[in-house]
Amino acid sequence: MLSFIARRGLGMVLSTLLVVTITFVFMQLIPGDPASVLLGPNATPEQIANLKATWGLDRPLPVQFARYFVNLFQGNLGESLFHRQPVLKMIGERAETSVFLGSMALLVVAGLGIPAGIIAAIRPNSWLDNLLLLVALAGASIPSFWLGLMLMVVFAGKLHLLPSSGFTSVIATGNIANLKSLILPAFSLGFVNAALVARTARSSMLDVLRADYITTAKAKGLSQPVVIVKHALRNAAIPITTVISFTFASLVSGAVVTENVFALPGIGSLIVQSVLKRDYPVIQGIMLVVAVLYVLVNFFTDLTYAFLDPRIRYR
Amino acid sequence: MVLRRKTVLFALIVLGGLLVVAALAPVFIPFDPDALNLTARLLPPNPTHPFGTDHFGRDILSRALVGTRITLLLGLSISGFALVFGVPIGVVSGYYDRVGMVVMRLVDAIMAFPAIILALALMAILGKPGVVNVIIAVGMVWAPRMVRVVYSSTLSLRENTYVEAARAVGAASGRILLRHITVNLLSPVIVQATFTFAFSIMEVAALNFLGVGIPPYVPSWGGMMNEGRMYIIRAPWIILFPGLLLAMSVLSFNLVGDALRDRLDPKLRNAV
Repeated sequence: MLSFIARRGLGMVLSTLLVVTITFVFMQLIPGDPASVLLGPNATPEQIANLKATWGLDRPLPVQFARYFVNLFQGNLGESLFHRQPVLKMIGERAETSVFLGSMALLVVAGLGIPAGIIAAIRPNSWLDNLLLLVALAGASIPSFWLGLMLMVVFAGKLHLLPSSGFTSVIATGNIANLKSLILPAFSLGFVNAALVARTARSSMLDVLRADYITTAKAKGLSQPVVIVKHALRNAAIPITTVISFTFASLVSGAVVTENVFALPGIGSLIVQSVLKRDYPVIQGIMLVVAVLYVLVNFFTDLTYAFLDPRIRYR
Repeated sequence: MVLRRKTVLFALIVLGGLLVVAALAPVFIPFDPDALNLTARLLPPNPTHPFGTDHFGRDILSRALVGTRITLLLGLSISGFALVFGVPIGVVSGYYDRVGMVVMRLVDAIMAFPAIILALALMAILGKPGVVNVIIAVGMVWAPRMVRVVYSSTLSLRENTYVEAARAVGAASGRILLRHITVNLLSPVIVQATFTFAFSIMEVAALNFLGVGIPPYVPSWGGMMNEGRMYIIRAPWIILFPGLLLAMSVLSFNLVGDALRDRLDPKLRNAV
């Protein structure tokens, strides 16, 4: 197990280094340079040169890269061009909303997707299976922001059951009821991604249910729930885990738009505002944080496999 | 199976309809999509305006139908972009191990950036909203995915006996790549291109919805939904219909992609 972790860990470090390099290259590709962007069209060449010298932008590229790297290790992701605040602080302030939204959406993904897949697999080709398959297909084709807007019309506009926008910190106020504002966004985000999980859960359950050990378990006289939960689900869990971890990237993508729809103060709405204002250091910082998180999620998914299926550790 | 055949038929009809609409929209749309009519603002669906009107009194049906054009155009161009870059890079990476090692590491790293984040960052670099910039930004998101599909197919294709035979009779690598491998990549590439189309029109709509895609004066489904946000409670139809059209198009492309995959790869036919 240790050598497995070490090998995957090395891969993770390598991917992280590449991700850091790509975000550095991103900064090199912006039109003009950050100093002229910040100072605007009326700046004199001296002013621009001075600011470049302060930021080290007049140094050779390898030096800049090394500096970027060292700064990252010190938790310095640069400074916003417009808010004059450290990027890391801005991301940190908005992390709560995004983390709550993501976790609640993940609950919807697993809570809808896995049971739907299992139910469909128990009676393949029944009307229920076909119905679930159709809903899953339709779900995967609906843009989450559109679903969010439609839910907003019904639940906030017509029924007045749930708030349509905004979110106040749960941590700062200690009021857990604030999570109510995240129900609609989390559902619209989760529903769309649950479709993929349902399809995978169905096909991997179907495979497992055909196995000999399931026949044996049934022959022993075990009840269906025991066979499904204890014998089938655990063996079908690996593809399901993979797909749920795949939804991380898709949840982040969806959250960017969903946060905008529901005016949530999260990282997704921060990146959109930064793109509209061309606040490059913030864009770069968010790219980096999200991609590193993605690499970490993949790493832990690999570890989960090894835990679920001991054979994998020795491959 | 019967259900599946029916859904594919439905998808093909929808796609055919979209093509007809895209080609002929200017001929049969009831109103000028850009004509302002301040006396007819925010009208709910009615016999004159079956999809209602927006805050400028513009006819939603006409705008949505005209929006089909830009949607299909962008979907096609982005899939084309992914093909043009993805196939050659993928084939060469799959055929030459050393190239593959480097390229696939890079592809994995690029894919660590969620699609919309990468597209947004690229739009920020490329500058102004515009059709070409959207094609490049979203195309660069989907090209690495195409590389991956082509790469893994090439890996298995190159082990075939006929490739070995070609090599034995002295065929040059270029010839093997072109005449023996690339030709056989057709089916996975077509399937992936179909999915690229579906995902890219959804992503383009998201970019337009966020106001960073194509300029707002070009009628597009995402742009229409963006403009309708202010009136979401008073006039939900502004958003309802473009969204439905988008969802139906994406669904149809996904259904066709699924069907093609099952058709072209008999091994998968009974898997899902």
